[in-house]
Amino acid sequence: MKRAVFLYALVAAWASFAVTAAELVETPMYKEQVTAGKLPAVAKRVPGVPLVVSFDGKSATPGRHGGTLNMIIGRSRDVRMLVVYGYARLVGYDTSLQIVPDILEGLEVQEGRSFTMKLRKGHRWSDGKPFTTEDFRYYWEDVANNKELSPTGPPRDLLVDNEPPKVEVIDEITVRYTWSKPNPDFLPRMAGASPLFIYRPAHYLKKFHKKYSEKVQEAEKSGTAKRRWAQVHNRQDNMYQFDNPDLPTLQPWTNTSKPPADRFIAERNPYFHRIDEKGQQLPYLDKIVLSVSDAKLIPAKTGAGESDLQARDLQFNNYTFLKQNEKRNHFRTLLWRPAVGSQFALFPNLNVNDPVWRTLLRDVRFRRALSLAIDRPLINSVLYFGLAIEGNNTVLSESPLYKEQYRTSWAKYDRKAAERLLDEIGLKKGLDGIRRLPDGRPLEIIVETAGESTEQTDILELIRETWREVGIQLFSKPSQREAFRNRIFSGETVMSVWTGFENGIATADMSPDMLAPTSQQHLQWPKFGQYFETGGSVGVKPDIPEAVELLKLYEQWRATFDQPERKRIWERMLAIHAEQQFGIGVVSGVPQPVITRVKLRNVPEKGLYNWEPGAFFGIYRPDTFWFE
Amino acid sequence: MLNYTVRRVLIMIATLFVISFVSFTIIKLPPGDFLTNQIDELKSQGDNAALEKVEFLRKQYGLDKPFLQQYAVWIGVWPTERGYSGLLQGDWGWSFEYDLPVGQVVGDRMLLSFIMNFSVILFTWAVAFPIGVYAATHQYSLGDHGLTLLGYVGLATPNFLLALVLMYFANVEFGLSIGGIMDPEYLGQPWSAAKFGSVLKHLWIPVIVIGTSGTAAMIRRLRANLLDELQKQYVVTGRAKGMPPLRLLIKYPMRMALNPFIADIGNLLPSVISGSAIVAVVLSLQTSGPMLLEALRSQDQYLAGSFLMFLSLLTVIGMFISDLLLAVLDPRIRLTGGVAK
Repeated sequence: MKRAVFLYALVAAWASFAVTAAELVETPMYKEQVTAGKLPAVAKRVPGVPLVVSFDGKSATPGRHGGTLNMIIGRSRDVRMLVVYGYARLVGYDTSLQIVPDILEGLEVQEGRSFTMKLRKGHRWSDGKPFTTEDFRYYWEDVANNKELSPTGPPRDLLVDNEPPKVEVIDEITVRYTWSKPNPDFLPRMAGASPLFIYRPAHYLKKFHKKYSEKVQEAEKSGTAKRRWAQVHNRQDNMYQFDNPDLPTLQPWTNTSKPPADRFIAERNPYFHRIDEKGQQLPYLDKIVLSVSDAKLIPAKTGAGESDLQARDLQFNNYTFLKQNEKRNHFRTLLWRPAVGSQFALFPNLNVNDPVWRTLLRDVRFRRALSLAIDRPLINSVLYFGLAIEGNNTVLSESPLYKEQYRTSWAKYDRKAAERLLDEIGLKKGLDGIRRLPDGRPLEIIVETAGESTEQTDILELIRETWREVGIQLFSKPSQREAFRNRIFSGETVMSVWTGFENGIATADMSPDMLAPTSQQHLQWPKFGQYFETGGSVGVKPDIPEAVELLKLYEQWRATFDQPERKRIWERMLAIHAEQQFGIGVVSGVPQPVITRVKLRNVPEKGLYNWEPGAFFGIYRPDTFWFE
Repeated sequence: MLNYTVRRVLIMIATLFVISFVSFTIIKLPPGDFLTNQIDELKSQGDNAALEKVEFLRKQYGLDKPFLQQYAVWIGVWPTERGYSGLLQGDWGWSFEYDLPVGQVVGDRMLLSFIMNFSVILFTWAVAFPIGVYAATHQYSLGDHGLTLLGYVGLATPNFLLALVLMYFANVEFGLSIGGIMDPEYLGQPWSAAKFGSVLKHLWIPVIVIGTSGTAAMIRRLRANLLDELQKQYVVTGRAKGMPPLRLLIKYPMRMALNPFIADIGNLLPSVISGSAIVAVVLSLQTSGPMLLEALRSQDQYLAGSFLMFLSLLTVIGMFISDLLLAVLDPRIRLTGGVAK
């Protein structure tokens, strides 16, 4: 890993030498301001060593400046999508999902525990003030370690076994984070769709900090402050929420509208650090306008041509409607692939309170029988025109870790085999054809859903048919997300429905935490997860051998950074899941409709639509999208 | 008359107090609070310390206090660190969702709501009045049956369905943007003639949708009242004396039949406001309805509570005005009021 990242830095440096020699082109929108002297010329605005984006000339070409991109968001807090799509990170994923430096000019990793980050000299915040290591120091000393601003201490992602990092500011552009043990989460967290920001615009936030502002000190002392200073500071400091137009940013577009608003206008960041190979500063698009509308209206509005680029709040079942309106409203409908391990998965609650159910659900034969009794091809053809992928909840074929058997084992519809397994367990059929639990109750599984999608109830309806044939009665019970979660956590729910693994395109270097009982949010073993999260003070100690093994493997993964070893661990964990059916996946890869204006260029024909890793459009760099 | 007014005002205040308590209770009824809803989100952002952070925020927002105390603080009869500051002091509270004072969040929306609801009432009148009079004077004619049927169709069509159909139609035929109470480019801009024009251009859909459901009832009431009056002696006498029919109609029976119109302001207001909330959500209007619904969903208790209080206040005042107007219009009501006293 170290070598790879270092190499990239060298390549980037080389490429930028080639380009700084070429002339930088002034952005048309700023020409007047530059001649009037209100804004420095472009050569002064980009860092000394900018990030040069090159295009392959086929699917992506260098573009030209200008234009406004309209998008629709479902609620005003979605203005944060500008940070997600903007995707300017210290390090970020590229389209092949490798982590590469972005805001950083270079990065040196030693033993996976020491990270030396080199900034770009002359890089500036969107307000023109220099971006230096002072911004890192301010974050670490005055925000993360300030008792009033961060009452719970530095974020947990920065702790390795509760040990905080040593943060050294070496010079104005070099800063180093060091732990005594490897921290494999550090880079992925910084490259995240909702990243960990380890820097802050110090020059702006100091105005609100008690340590630096006399005004704040006085107000605190005299009691004239209406709200506590920490509250005010935290309110201003919303790098991710992006709702403070005054807060300087490093993203390609800066938000200019203060919420509550029904329309957010983001303008280009004049100091953005990326340029194209022709010497034009990115982004190409001058403005992004986000209009707020009810989420249910978004498909209709998109179909009416009110959005130039839209995927959020569109579902697969809107596809035909959108396709129908393409011509009239001049857009194209693309289908991208999501990366969740499964669009729909059943989670037997291994921590259910009812002892009879608990024993049964922990019997692997029962879980396998349930999976075998689902007719996945039927579901695929009825609900997804056969466009989805049938199979277990596992990684997708795009992942280098993918193996056919992970997807198919125990996932072929086989009624006879399912019946045989159920008979073997000793679940006898009653006169009504429904099997009986060991204590005589009928085998009725109540599957709870969060009640947010009709798609889920449709699938359950189809599963009910085939389960009924093997003597299992299924009832679905929609509730509301909060209640849904709480009932699972407390062990009242027998079985629930959710999407599968968040990251279906994992590589061996990505953390396998989703495979091991590490979080309460894992619906098949919430209490094991809680036990792990709380360090054993609440929850239940994992007492299923396979779960214990998964946890052990996870810890081994964290301790090593030998890639073949990591791959071996991943494969073992995936194999356990496929064999054990801890989550019963049904379909994956349900295409995501993406609407793009015909004239909008550089939007890939086929892409990955995913939150983490991917940041939705983020890894495709919307700053390179342009209007013809 | 003074007695009557004073009594009405006192009842109004008591009503508002009851409303405030009931609505706050109902808002607090679902399990959890605003912050439990946030835990999910923090977790999905990869914030592993979400639980501790939320505990801290809960203290900061005062959500760890007992229910009655939270209510009292909101009303303004219980001091916070900053002293008394609640509804009684004119402070609408703090919205967690927006992290802003409620007053600032609500802003334009109340005005737009008011414009819309007012237009709906005007529309209802403008449609129901001529139809009602026509239907009464031409009882059992083809026109009477036809118009009555039309009114019933309006009553029977679900609002949201009509809204969707009209919205689609307006987009395809007139190129009007889907949803919204004005063209997107005017959102968040200061008021101008062009913005007002855009609002008017969009207003007709919600007005028709909400209005049609109210007209039928009013047509029937006016028709029935007028029919009663038309049979009466004084009308016959007038006609016998040779009074022109139109003048006769306007001068006597119609004035008598006007009562339900005024009395209906009070009845219309609540139904218009609740009806407009649903339609506003469907049409994604920038009025108070969708925001109120969102606040209730995320249990942003002070925003939701203050919203409800404000709407109740409007309704109660509307009813008060309609009662007063009625008393002015019809001496009989004033008299009975006095006798009862």
